Amino acid sequence: MKLSSIRPITLLISKELMITAFLLLGVSFVIFIILFLSPGDPFSAMVKGQIMSEAATKGASDALVVPDAWYSQYLSWLNNMLHGNFGTSTRSGLPVLREVVLVTINTIYLTIGSMFVTLLLAIPIAVVSARRGMTPFTWPATIFTYVISALPVFWLGYIVIYISMHQFGLFPLAFGSMSKKFSWIYFMLPVFVLGLGNGTISEVVRYLRDEMERVFAEDYIRTARAKGASIWKHSFKEGFLIPITEIIASKVSFILGGAIVVEQVFNWPGMGRMAWQAAQDRDYPLIMGITLMAAIIVRLGSLIQRVVHIIVNPRASQE
Amino acid sequence: MKRLPSVLLLIFFFVFIVISPQAEAGQKTDGKPDGGTLNYGEYGRPATLDPITSNDMISMRITELIFNGLVGINEKQEIVPELAERWEISKDGKFYTFYLRQDVMWHAREEEDPVPFTADDVIFTYNIMMHPKTTSSMVYMYEFIESVEKMDDYTLQFTLKRPILNALAKFSFKVIPKHGPENQEFLSREDPFAQKPIGTGPYMLKNITADREVILVANEDYFKGRPHINKFAARPFADQNIMSQALLFNAIDMIVLVNHRDIPQIQGDKRYILQPYNALSYSFFGYNMRNPLLADKRVRKAFTYAVNRQEMLDSFFNGQGTIISGPFAPGSWAYNLDVQPLPYDPEKAIALLNEAGFTKGDDGIMVKDGQKLSLTLKVPIAKESEAVKRVVLAFKNYLNKIGVDVEGEFKEWLSWKEDVFLKHDFDIIFASWVFDDSADISSLFHSAEIRPGKNNFGAYSNPEVDGLIVESKLTLDHEKRRTINRKLHAIIADESPYTFLWTLTNYAAFNKKLRRVAIHPYKFFSFADDWFIPASEQR
Repeated sequence: MKLSSIRPITLLISKELMITAFLLLGVSFVIFIILFLSPGDPFSAMVKGQIMSEAATKGASDALVVPDAWYSQYLSWLNNMLHGNFGTSTRSGLPVLREVVLVTINTIYLTIGSMFVTLLLAIPIAVVSARRGMTPFTWPATIFTYVISALPVFWLGYIVIYISMHQFGLFPLAFGSMSKKFSWIYFMLPVFVLGLGNGTISEVVRYLRDEMERVFAEDYIRTARAKGASIWKHSFKEGFLIPITEIIASKVSFILGGAIVVEQVFNWPGMGRMAWQAAQDRDYPLIMGITLMAAIIVRLGSLIQRVVHIIVNPRASQE
Repeated sequence: MKRLPSVLLLIFFFVFIVISPQAEAGQKTDGKPDGGTLNYGEYGRPATLDPITSNDMISMRITELIFNGLVGINEKQEIVPELAERWEISKDGKFYTFYLRQDVMWHAREEEDPVPFTADDVIFTYNIMMHPKTTSSMVYMYEFIESVEKMDDYTLQFTLKRPILNALAKFSFKVIPKHGPENQEFLSREDPFAQKPIGTGPYMLKNITADREVILVANEDYFKGRPHINKFAARPFADQNIMSQALLFNAIDMIVLVNHRDIPQIQGDKRYILQPYNALSYSFFGYNMRNPLLADKRVRKAFTYAVNRQEMLDSFFNGQGTIISGPFAPGSWAYNLDVQPLPYDPEKAIALLNEAGFTKGDDGIMVKDGQKLSLTLKVPIAKESEAVKRVVLAFKNYLNKIGVDVEGEFKEWLSWKEDVFLKHDFDIIFASWVFDDSADISSLFHSAEIRPGKNNFGAYSNPEVDGLIVESKLTLDHEKRRTINRKLHAIIADESPYTFLWTLTNYAAFNKKLRRVAIHPYKFFSFADDWFIPASEQR
């Protein structure tokens, strides 16, 4: 790649990073306010189950050296975070950063894997129907993607688990201490379920098909066709790469949402499960950590999309 | 409580049978085979693994395997020696002297020689428990202790503020090592010890996997003899349906608490055993007597007559439980069997409401002095809320039939707790109490407990009940206490501050390969060192 094409990308990235930093600040503040206003607090959750008492709650809060005023709570959290200290989970006492990074890796694996499944199914259908129009293959296939997208993902999860147990004799839940053959299957199933059930297949098909049809109708494609050159090669960037990255970027947050459900059903140790637990325990530091991480992932998705866009079309950076 | 969020846990240690101490043999000589692994499923993950900061049942079950108390409890609920081999109680009941075992070693940490257990550890544990900065509410259970004094390395003496009945059972608190926590003053959940505890118990923590599966291995040097099963693994599940399927698929060997809906399926399978155990808990509808409409006992009683409790129990919980009549859990010695639960009698209910001055309005709702009998019912959202939802709906329908309008409102656990215990903003609640032994109900019904954050959320106040509660607390005579509690039961049943519903039978389910399984009602694994798996079935 030429230097001239790297420059706009670095420019874009540094600009995006700045925006992201402000965005994260805003997100953290809003989340903090929501937590602060919501009923309950981590300290009564810590001594919960037993007799409620102000003294025990106070003791727990004293031991963690929590300031009284809400703004100083936020500022001290912010200060610590800027120094790389995300605090410790009030529930388990473990450092938040490590906990969140661990589960994020699992969730990213699930999210990216399921995105591949979605694309693997959606792209052929979209390409064929853009090229050939509605045929006896593309028509039912498109209907199929709509039906699949309408299925609730938790339902699909249960069905897949039951089928794999009763038809194939596999129990599709993995545990760290298990080392069995076919363990890859345990990891494949949730990815497969989320890929099918995240509700984006039909959207990818429709968007990609429309974009391709539009590009196919462009003058330069007609010229290429007249010359007898490869249409695919000419339409690849505008009709395929850009729409795909666009739709993926816009769906990252959606797939993350679906991941929460899949993680519950498949016992997948990811962000969704941790967020759910943390919300119940009013584990403020952990909730803040997970929300920030989710915001970063969503932001990263759109950043990648823009970078791809600029690589494909350097003029876009000058707009 | 993690396991049953709709449940409030009251820990009042109480065991009434005291036998003469007798130290147990040092080695297991029962000839049962060692080996095998027990994977058990838990609904959720443990928070911390030390016995002091942890407050969920999942952690409690694990600490039961890792730690010991000075005294323990055997299968017949009798107090037996554990870390203390014998003890003396002074005549006035104020001094408890414990003589400790001298052959107990703490689990060895890596690159560390095993450290012997001494009186210092007990004193250290006591000080940590009572420190105000320790994340725990244990301090309220041990307020009765004045001080502790070390006599020599293996002898110590507790001085009580006042003699109390059955204080001995309270010395079953789990002892932690002095060289365990980093902070020697108080214990918070951030202390590494909370995640990597060492104890004296039959099992040692090996590791916690990335998905927070807790792996425990047999302590070869356990002072009661090496436990039979080599390894325990607590596997966390996020979904109860999947957990039951996991058992049926042999992915796990045991479920500590079976979802009531899955009981028939497991029952029908010969490979598994369902073992009931009594958890000393009950469910109820509690009334807010600050509301003038509910202040009249006839109204509350009418509600109890109006609901068909047996029908609800049969259809929503497969009939797995007992209908109760009063404030003690059945199975507790304090429960008064002479008081019968009120029968289902909607006509009687209407008659009672009429007697209290209510007449049916045009819209079918009962009215008194222009005030409609229209109430809000607040219910905490439980994880396994399906059965709860049905109970609430049924309750609504039953009351509708006698002309009471009930508006159900489901609230998230902590915000429900705030509404009920702090703001007292409710008319009726649906909840459960869990007791270690329900003999002490003072915090539920004594009028001194009518304050924000206290357990008498409904503002129930009756001088006679107050008097009896105090009397029952002060007496040192078990028979007398029983008589007082029977009387309390009768009065509270009649006054109906709650509509007492039922005690559900808890079931553990496990694979038949596990033998000699005895389960402690709430600590669960107390006798797990005796469990074994026949050699042919170890895999």
